[in-house]
Amino acid sequence: MPRIPLGDWVNSSVDWLLDNVSWLFTFLKDIFTGAYDGINAVLQAPEPLLLAGIFAVIAFWLRGTFAGILSFAGFAFIDSLELWENAMVTLALLLVATIIALVVAVPVGIWAARSDRVSAFVRPILDFMQTLPAMIYLIPAILFFGTGSAPGIVATLIFALAPGVRMTELGIRQVDKELVEAAEAFGTTPRNTLLRVQLPLALPTVMAGVNQVIMLGLSMAAIAGMVGTGGLGGDVMESIGQLNVGLGAEAGLAIVILAIYLDRMTSALGTHVSPLGRRAAAKARAAKGLKIWSYRPQPQVAVIGIVVLGLVAGGMGLFGGTTDDTATAAGGKKVGEGKKVSIGYIPWDEGVASTYLWKEILEQRGFEVEAKQFEAGPLYTALAQGNIDFQTDSWLPTTHEQYWKKYGKQLEDLGSWYDQTSLELTVPSYMKDINSLEDLKGKADLFGGKITGIEPSAGEMNLLKSKILKEYGLDGQYKVVDSSTPAMLAELKRAYSKKEPIVVTLWSPHWAYNDYDLKKLKDPKGAWGKGDGVHSLSRKGFSDDNPVVAKWLKDFSMTEKQLTSLEAEINKAGKGQQQEAVRTWLKANPGIVDKLAPVENGSGGTPAEAKQPLDVAWFPWEEDVAVTYLWKNVLERRGYKMNLKQMDVGPVYTGLASGGIDLNFDAWLPHAQSNYWNKHKDNLVDLGTWYEPTSLEIAVPSYVKDVKSLADLKGKADLFDGKIIGIEPGTGQMQLVKNDVMPAYGLEDEYKVVDGSTPAMLAELKRALAKKEPVAVTLWSPHWAYSDYDLTKLKDPKKAFGEGNTIRTISSKKFPEQYPQLTKWIKNFKMSEDELGSLEAEIKDRGQGHEEEAVAAWLKEHPDMVGRMTP
Amino acid sequence: MSARLEAENLYKVFGRKPDQAVERLRQGDVRKDQGDARKDQGDVREELRADGTTAAVIDASFTVEPGEIFVVMGLSGSGKSTLLRMLNGLSEPTAGHVRFGGQDLTELSDRELREVRSKKISMVFQHFALFPHRSVRDNAAYGLEVQGVPRAERERRADEALALCGLAGWEKSWPDELSGGMQQRVGLARALATDADLLLMDESFSALDPLIRRDMQDQLLDLQKTLKKTIVFITHDLNEAMRLGDRIAVMRDGRIVQIGSAQDILIRPANDYVASFTKDVDRSRVLTAAAVMETDVRGDEADCDCETATPDTPFSELCAISARVPHSVAVVDGDRRLVGVVPAQRLIGFLGDEDVEPGVCQSPRDKGGKKVISRA
Repeated sequence: MPRIPLGDWVNSSVDWLLDNVSWLFTFLKDIFTGAYDGINAVLQAPEPLLLAGIFAVIAFWLRGTFAGILSFAGFAFIDSLELWENAMVTLALLLVATIIALVVAVPVGIWAARSDRVSAFVRPILDFMQTLPAMIYLIPAILFFGTGSAPGIVATLIFALAPGVRMTELGIRQVDKELVEAAEAFGTTPRNTLLRVQLPLALPTVMAGVNQVIMLGLSMAAIAGMVGTGGLGGDVMESIGQLNVGLGAEAGLAIVILAIYLDRMTSALGTHVSPLGRRAAAKARAAKGLKIWSYRPQPQVAVIGIVVLGLVAGGMGLFGGTTDDTATAAGGKKVGEGKKVSIGYIPWDEGVASTYLWKEILEQRGFEVEAKQFEAGPLYTALAQGNIDFQTDSWLPTTHEQYWKKYGKQLEDLGSWYDQTSLELTVPSYMKDINSLEDLKGKADLFGGKITGIEPSAGEMNLLKSKILKEYGLDGQYKVVDSSTPAMLAELKRAYSKKEPIVVTLWSPHWAYNDYDLKKLKDPKGAWGKGDGVHSLSRKGFSDDNPVVAKWLKDFSMTEKQLTSLEAEINKAGKGQQQEAVRTWLKANPGIVDKLAPVENGSGGTPAEAKQPLDVAWFPWEEDVAVTYLWKNVLERRGYKMNLKQMDVGPVYTGLASGGIDLNFDAWLPHAQSNYWNKHKDNLVDLGTWYEPTSLEIAVPSYVKDVKSLADLKGKADLFDGKIIGIEPGTGQMQLVKNDVMPAYGLEDEYKVVDGSTPAMLAELKRALAKKEPVAVTLWSPHWAYSDYDLTKLKDPKKAFGEGNTIRTISSKKFPEQYPQLTKWIKNFKMSEDELGSLEAEIKDRGQGHEEEAVAAWLKEHPDMVGRMTP
Repeated sequence: MSARLEAENLYKVFGRKPDQAVERLRQGDVRKDQGDARKDQGDVREELRADGTTAAVIDASFTVEPGEIFVVMGLSGSGKSTLLRMLNGLSEPTAGHVRFGGQDLTELSDRELREVRSKKISMVFQHFALFPHRSVRDNAAYGLEVQGVPRAERERRADEALALCGLAGWEKSWPDELSGGMQQRVGLARALATDADLLLMDESFSALDPLIRRDMQDQLLDLQKTLKKTIVFITHDLNEAMRLGDRIAVMRDGRIVQIGSAQDILIRPANDYVASFTKDVDRSRVLTAAAVMETDVRGDEADCDCETATPDTPFSELCAISARVPHSVAVVDGDRRLVGVVPAQRLIGFLGDEDVEPGVCQSPRDKGGKKVISRA
């Protein structure tokens, strides 16, 4: 059989999707996260018990007194388990997924019910969505949607959509054909047949579908914990990772409570919203006699009541105790201390861009900045006279040669910040035959004998008129039209839109090359001369008066991409909005301010990069919990904000590679996680080792007396039942064990390495220890199992496991650029075995949910740590 | 005022290429008319069935006069329900025309057709088809609601229709609280409430108990006396057909095999199939003096003072009269003119499904018998 490269096709189509329709995913992501954030904010805002009360009222209305009491008890229980916040996260996730699922499912179901063809088309898709293992689309979901709530919602949605569609279709198809015919026989329109007959009668079945959507969604919400969605799913993943059965039971129970509540409420809602169900309920009530306790509001009243209650509760919470997290980031270093700086500029695009960029940067640094616009000549004059402090748009040595000659002595050259410049004549690319200046000759008719120029004062115009035209023999054929840059650009735009021939004087960099498809005319004779550099010039003495700014300007440089994107942004914003445009651009290009205007960091200062919250993913492994919470504590002291996301290894690497996550502190490289690293290494950055040594090994309980080394395993297969308990297949360690270790000690015939998972291996180890049975497991150090159990690491005299891993910090590719300060700190970060051990112990002692206290306590005992980590 | 309903050469074919199938059916008929017996109609239908194409209604034509109850009778699968649904456009005819009140329904757009259905034609269903999520009143008012009649008026008219059907006081009940007969009265009220001229009734009483069915039939006849609707009634029960129908169309395998009054069908069945149907019919309920009398009269039979009958006198009553008078019963019309006589022998003959003269006995034991014969 030929190998069908299906996997490759999928890979390339995923790549294609990422490259070409990322706007769609961004759009969806915005919708998902927006809806999620909104609902989550509402659910998180009120006091837990208040919200529990609201849930109880809903239960009372829908089902009765007993249900109300039970609901309150259940939610209060969740609160007492300290799982409230996570439960609400899960609930919010679920609600968003359910609402979106219904918005999609009900219309599709109706359509499928009305057309057999649609039904036949939709059914296999639903089967596919429902049976495809969730892991398979969870990981791509990270690629498309980043980490956080969006991929969780997508996964939940995909899984939960099917019953919604199916039950809607079934419900409508189940409606008695004679009833539909009766409706038609009385002249009902198809629309009204659907709305007045089919849907009301199908409603109980549709509601059963809603119920199923919610139930399936809830089961998926737990799995979505793997991709950093958080909530109860995160707790479940964490407890599995740590083999913490207790926490697992708590989180699991909370999920069950949520599930039962939602199930009972939606099924009760089913009877309440369907006319038949309402009738039956009314009949039952009438039989019981009138009681105030059996009062039930009409659905409309109930919905309004709930919304009002929700808003009141939300409002109380919101007004009560919200702290503005973003406010802390504003305390940057105001080195300017209100010093006045004035910048002059020529209204050319790169001049405007760089000037307003510096205006914004300097204002952020506490300077008071004034920007004045000049023509080129007056600008040099003003600068020479000391009326202004500096300008950033001096084209040297060619274009502004005359000015430099004249004023150079009264000026300081702060160096070139951009040197890929050129002057040229340019035509639109649709001018097929015009590729070089030589081609212009004899084509004057085509262009109406005009070369559209710019300000007559410009050096370029001078050069063009005095040199270029002569060199290429265009004298007399063409007239260079003096005008202005905006007029030239307007003329270009007009001609471009009509596809008329035009030739303009232009220069690079210019945003016009971004926006239009233009062709720079070649200059084979080199008449334009060598490209200029764009220099910053200051008045004489400025660097003495203001050494900090002068140094910043001397170090200033921009890439072509940065400059053109900034110019385009400013151009888009329009006149008077330049500084806003710069701010927008800075937001899109974080870290620039600190790069261009670095500030010495004294202790306790907040680098500007701290403005953007960090997304840090962590595995529920002891050392990672410890180091992640340690960094969280330390960085929060420095004004950073960290979002912690608990995830599984695969998703973390995918998330980092896609940029959805910034950091992970627990990369075991080069061996244990090498498969993940190799796959994504192009998009990851290794920020260095913070802990060594580690080792991989096979371990046995120490009561297995005779086995001290891997060599001792030989011939003892009976003792261990021929099994070595492994972890996740495909991990670097498992591959090492199977491919290197087993053959090295001649064990491959005697033992079978059992694929499984880390939690399963730990569970097996625990079980064997309890029974004092011999067991051999693949393990690694550091691992909490060594402190909890009495285990023997088997010696590896042949070094088959190779050198140990080190624990490293890895980041997304753009991280070092975005967080230069933090990158430096992390690269210098080290922890000793004692430090890590004591921190882990502290955290273990305090228990789950109290990590932050533990870190704070530990830091008190290690006072030098903060200084060491963030000098 | 009710309008005339005309069906002209209606065909309904389900399956692929229905137009071709219609053409084949037509040609089969032509050949038969030309005496080509090799392919008769049934064969073409069977051939089509083998191809997966079902000819449900073949060449059905009839006219229903205003105020008439027209019954379509046939076994299940004979195409009568399909025929009915073509009359109000629920099912679009493959070929042919339906004209009602001067409009050709087959040429109307969907919207116009819905308009006609909501105002001029209403329908009563076999299994009542009441909306379970609407009260009795809302069910009866459904057609008016579709028409867009304001709530107050439509409830008033619905209540009137319900009262007409004997359901006053049940307006606020729900369909599932009513017995089958009452539910069908709601169905009838729903159909009557719209003041439609044409009432289509699809086996409307078949699902009811025999006694209740009789009640409903009586009620329908009763209502018809005052309302004078044009009614097309579908049934598989010949007794019901004969009881209700001014005229009856018998269908078999998609074709109308005979159209006529109850007595036409009973006395002059078009073929063996129809005749086999009539076997089980209680003739004494259907036949009247007009059907059994001999029109060959001398003229003086009514000259005595004995009891006489009219042409409408039901058969059973005729028997009773015959038992009371010593000679043949004279049948006189409204002007007391003699139109026929009914000898007792002939009555017995009709009861026994034999329309023949008695034979001659070799050794008559009863002189009266001879006397009867001599008088006949």
